[in-house]
Amino acid sequence: MSNDGLLPNGLVNHTADGDAVGEEDPGHAILRERWLQSESSIAALFGSGGDELLGQNQGTRDAQRSQEDAMALDFPAPVIPPKKPTRTIDEDDYGDDDDEDEDDAITVSPLKARSTALIVTGALAPASQVSSIPVKPPIDRRSTASSSDQSKTLEDVRKKLEEDKKAAEDAARRSCYTMFYTLESDKAAMDEQKRLDELDRQVETEVSGQASGNANNGPSGAAQQSTLSSADLGASNLTFKHLIARIDAKREKVKATDSQLRTLLSEVRKGRSKWASEEKIGQEELYESADKVLMELKAIPEHAAPFLQRVNKRDAPDYHVVIKHPMDIGTMMKKLKALTYRSKKEFVDDLNLIWSNCLKYNADPNHPVRKKALYMRKETEKLVPLIPDIVVRDRAEVEAEERRLQNGDLDGVEDSDDEEPIMASRGRKAPSKGKKGNSTARKAPAAGSEGTPGPETKPNFQGLRAGASGLRNDFLRADSDAPLEGSQNGLSTPPPGTLTPLGINGNYGSGAPGSQADVTEIDPSGNTVNGHGLGSTEDPDQDDLEYKTWKQVTKKDRALVAAERHRLLGGDRLNPEVPALLRTKAGMRRWIRQQKQAVDEGVTGEIKTSVNGKDGEQAAAVETLAEGIEEEEERSLPDYYDPMSAIPKLDERLKWVEDAEGQVIAQSEECLRMVPKGQFTSPESHLTKKIDANMHQMQDTRKICAKIGIVKQMQIQAQTYQNQFQKYDPEPFAEADVGPVVVSDDGPVMFHWLCRAALQRSVGKIFYHAGFEDFQPSALDVATDVASDFFTKLVRTLGIYREAPKADAVYDQVTAEGEHPVLKQRFTTEETVLHCLHENGMDLEVLESYVKDDVERVGTKLGVVHERMKAHLADLLRPALGDNAGADGVGAFNDGSDQFVGGDFAEDIDEDFFGFKELGLAAEFGLESLSVPLHLLQNRMHSVYQAQHTSAITAAGNIIDPPPAYELVTPRSIESEVSLVKNFFLTKLRANNDEPLIEDEDLPLKQRFPKPRLPPTGKISSPRKRPIREQQQLAKKKRRLEGGKEDAANGMSGSGNASGVGKGLGKPIGKLRLDMPRGGKEQGPEPEKDGGDGDVGTMSPESITAG
Amino acid sequence: MPSFRAYLSDTTPPDHSRDLPDFFDLESRSTFRVRLTETIEKMMFVSGETSEAAPETLSMIEGIVQQQVIEMLTRSTALAARRGVRSISTDDLIFLIRHDKAKVSRLRTFLSWKDVRKNVKDSEDKAGDGGADFNADDPLPGGGAAIGPAVDTRTSKNKRAKVGLPWDVASFYSEQVPEREDEEDEDEEEMNHATLQRLKNADERTKHMTPDEYLHWSECRQASFTFRKGKRFREWAGFGTVTDSKPNDDIVDILGFLTFEIVQTLTEEALRVKAAEDLYRKETGGEVESARRKRKREPGLFDPPEEARTPVGPKHIQEAFRRLQVPDAKSKYMSHIAGGFRKAPLKLI
Repeated sequence: MSNDGLLPNGLVNHTADGDAVGEEDPGHAILRERWLQSESSIAALFGSGGDELLGQNQGTRDAQRSQEDAMALDFPAPVIPPKKPTRTIDEDDYGDDDDEDEDDAITVSPLKARSTALIVTGALAPASQVSSIPVKPPIDRRSTASSSDQSKTLEDVRKKLEEDKKAAEDAARRSCYTMFYTLESDKAAMDEQKRLDELDRQVETEVSGQASGNANNGPSGAAQQSTLSSADLGASNLTFKHLIARIDAKREKVKATDSQLRTLLSEVRKGRSKWASEEKIGQEELYESADKVLMELKAIPEHAAPFLQRVNKRDAPDYHVVIKHPMDIGTMMKKLKALTYRSKKEFVDDLNLIWSNCLKYNADPNHPVRKKALYMRKETEKLVPLIPDIVVRDRAEVEAEERRLQNGDLDGVEDSDDEEPIMASRGRKAPSKGKKGNSTARKAPAAGSEGTPGPETKPNFQGLRAGASGLRNDFLRADSDAPLEGSQNGLSTPPPGTLTPLGINGNYGSGAPGSQADVTEIDPSGNTVNGHGLGSTEDPDQDDLEYKTWKQVTKKDRALVAAERHRLLGGDRLNPEVPALLRTKAGMRRWIRQQKQAVDEGVTGEIKTSVNGKDGEQAAAVETLAEGIEEEEERSLPDYYDPMSAIPKLDERLKWVEDAEGQVIAQSEECLRMVPKGQFTSPESHLTKKIDANMHQMQDTRKICAKIGIVKQMQIQAQTYQNQFQKYDPEPFAEADVGPVVVSDDGPVMFHWLCRAALQRSVGKIFYHAGFEDFQPSALDVATDVASDFFTKLVRTLGIYREAPKADAVYDQVTAEGEHPVLKQRFTTEETVLHCLHENGMDLEVLESYVKDDVERVGTKLGVVHERMKAHLADLLRPALGDNAGADGVGAFNDGSDQFVGGDFAEDIDEDFFGFKELGLAAEFGLESLSVPLHLLQNRMHSVYQAQHTSAITAAGNIIDPPPAYELVTPRSIESEVSLVKNFFLTKLRANNDEPLIEDEDLPLKQRFPKPRLPPTGKISSPRKRPIREQQQLAKKKRRLEGGKEDAANGMSGSGNASGVGKGLGKPIGKLRLDMPRGGKEQGPEPEKDGGDGDVGTMSPESITAG
Repeated sequence: MPSFRAYLSDTTPPDHSRDLPDFFDLESRSTFRVRLTETIEKMMFVSGETSEAAPETLSMIEGIVQQQVIEMLTRSTALAARRGVRSISTDDLIFLIRHDKAKVSRLRTFLSWKDVRKNVKDSEDKAGDGGADFNADDPLPGGGAAIGPAVDTRTSKNKRAKVGLPWDVASFYSEQVPEREDEEDEDEEEMNHATLQRLKNADERTKHMTPDEYLHWSECRQASFTFRKGKRFREWAGFGTVTDSKPNDDIVDILGFLTFEIVQTLTEEALRVKAAEDLYRKETGGEVESARRKRKREPGLFDPPEEARTPVGPKHIQEAFRRLQVPDAKSKYMSHIAGGFRKAPLKLI
């Protein structure tokens, strides 16, 4: 190994960057190897790539160079001035001509020629290859014609299969964006994947027990794919980090697209097969293909399951009796790992043994497993031709043979001797291009030994393996093989014995585990895709081919995603210790790319690859390479499988941004807005106004009702209490709006409880409008629920009609020149609304009749009733109803309501309200009216009313101002009193705790003493001893009698008077005794009044005032 | 002239004052059945069906009427139970037909006239019984139930009082207030419109009648299931099984009124059905007619007159009933609720 071939190359491009990563210098051998590898890949690229892959190569070379830059930085070396000529030649490389390819070859060679003479061979190698490639039928000198023919046909088959696979895969990928698949098959996929993984692990553990050179090869296929990131944490990963960092830093200098760079880098990381062995010749080829076949068979969904593991004795006790040599895929994998297969035949025999065993054991032709076995056998037959027919042989044997051959015809192979290693290394890449020249070259080591066509087939199979990334894969092979040159040159020992690349590869395998990631790791989906796609496209008895393909293509990814989710959310709960699913940048980019791609495909139908390339360029400004590399690129899953990645970035204005002083910049101003007023009140309209007016009218009428009730109550009740009548003074209705609310979004405010409350208020209004003064909350709730249910349906129907499919195209005759079909909404807005109403049992007539009957007509009715109420109140208060009566009759009380107290209204209704007629007083005194003479009444109605309706009185104004109140008797004011009463007051004061004495009239009603009055008899009774109520009654009678007396003529005799008293007392007292308890008991309004029974006591002023 | 008579008899209910007490109501079940069919026939005649209906038609109508009555009683009992009362009131019954405003107002008129009649009768009775010491101008103490109407009846005692309904505007308030004379209620106008329409129809029907026929017609008009003999009717209607066995007098009267309405509506609708059918026959050539005629070949001596109308048959009644049972659009508004077929309730005719 010498750096001298490589360093100049790096230094050519980078003169100033040598200081970058100095600490890496003590660097590991592995790094060097990696570097070597990449370096040799450049050589290979420049040498061979140009020949074959003209179009594609262009960008890759750029990338290659940029990679070199980075590589060189990792290995700071003695600074050597750049070599101008090479640089210029390098720059000339951007063409498509063959000439330039030749230039490339030359370019490489001078570089290497600087230190070692043998580098000439390095230069020669590509050149010779160039010469050999154009020869289309690359029949090797030493290979038989038959072998080449065979390989050719095989190749054709393989190519066809490959193309099929690719097409299927592409179709499936594309269908990701156009179709929606349900997730129902995910669980099955997950379980299957788990089973496969388990099988692999099992095989692995069993095999690792045996001493094997491949023990350190890391997890096998499927497991590797799932743990790709962790597997890469080796030294090479570190190197890569630096490399990528450098490339990112110098991104603008690198003239390659991101995708190209990524491709390149990922290829560089790949290593050699795990099957490679120094000792065995042909083992790698055989085992790789065999492994591949096994993997594909294993991955056939739904069919491979019964054959994955050994038949259990519990399941089939007699199995071992029937089947002498049991076999299964798991066992085969073990055998494969243990390297027990010596030839293709052994392998194929084992495979066929599985199926035949199955068919033999399950003899019943209807057995379901048979079908699977038959299917598997069919698949096997398809795949078996892809395995090269190689017999593994020991190296020693081969070498011996070769040496013998060499000696035999030394002249014939003189020039090819030097090429051989290189050709051998390159051989793998050629087949994908269909260049037979490779097989020629590749055959060199083996050809001497025998004429088997095996070596030719192997590279082809490699191409097949590569699948979708076939071309890249070629590079990979080329790259990984390229170090051979260096090593060979370094050794400067060209004996053919060292020619085989296997040794080198084996070294790589052990030295850099990370680099062992083979094709499958880089493009796992593509890998499995191929197998599945192959199976599915030729599977005629499947119902939906596309769906099936899709299922197979995405199976692994789906399984992974589902497993991830299962880990987190398994058992129907969130598992706290499992790491959360996070949104990754890579995922986001993939999502964006998919979106773009979907759009592009939708528009132009471009094929995917080109779109990819374009996207890579578009996104180049933002992305960093490291992120592109850090995860597998392709995941053939629709984005809804990875919802984490489909979450867009936070809005700028929602970010937490700090200014220079660490203050948070409030970004809320731009996005926040106030909810406009009036969203939660009923809108202004004729209807709402009308309803409001009605409700207001009702309130007014109720006010009058309350007054009527009071009046009626006062008519029938002996006593009234100050707080007995609740003044009905309802608040006017006002709809409260929500307070200031700030939202950050447009659209209506969706807040369930608020909206419900608003609806509830509206329902309540309708209730009130329907005449309910109050209602139970539960009733309101129920009505609100029904209403909201109805409106929900209404709106849903509205939506259905609005979203109805558009009507057929209508050609507008006027603007017909464009011939653009005009799609019309199927329903106009009016139609939509009408349909909607009809669907929900409404129509315009119902609505109109509601407005007419239940709102407008009710309004007029309410007005009528109001008028009537007013008239009725006026009837009740007739005497007072004059011009000064207010709108609601309050003015009737303005002047003290003497008329009311006096019972003037009784006259109007032609009633003997006080029983004057009955008593004979009217006849006796010749009374003109049946009302009580005013001057006889103690006008206390006024004070009662004043206490009740203060505002009304003050508003109406009194004609005569009340005299100033007497000064209260207090301990101080008592000094000015006459000394006679002083002592009296003093005792009173003392009894009252020196509080000011209160006038009797100001006492609370209950505590008042009835006024001592001299009865007509002139005797002073002792009123205090009687119960107050009785006294009052007595006083009433007396007063009435007094009134009668005063009104009567002067010549009334005392006896007549006395008899009048007796007469007057007799009946009313009895009445009163009957009535009083009722009056006291009944609190509620009693509208009925038996007007005819002459209930004197009820309406007496005493009862009103003293109540 | 007929229309005036029609007006009188349309709005004045049959005089129930001479209703027999139950123990005098000795009508047997069989006679009731006979009376029932006769009554239905009379009602149909009043409603425009001139020819004699088949017994099947009559029994079908009877079944429908009975079903309707029982349904009404069931529902109003449920309503009363919801109010917490066991026996149904007139309001419960009226509530069931509240959407048919014309009918409600006719019913109210009916009830108010009934009230008037009763009052007059009462006062007459009182006057006859009590002798001279009672002044007819002075109403009895406690005669008026509420102060409002009482005041009203006092001043003009024979003026019919309006029957208030609990869902009227007047019942919004705690106080009952007398109506004033000068106020013309809009409801009344509406009722008048409907009544005038009915009277016009009746007038049309009676226009070409001879006085004798008209006499018969107006007699038929008095037909009532409940008139005088209510016991069997109550049995028939399901009192005692569906609801309280001792109904208010008013309720039986209302039912009598409503049954008449039901028969009338049904008959009118059936006539319409039949007219449509006849028209269709005529337009399509009248296969049935021609077939029959062909069979007969020659008109015989005893052929029925050509223009004679065939009576309404059971199928017409059936179709009429079906048409009347078509649910309103209004009943649809909650029908989005999932849960399959819901039986539509019986619609009251």
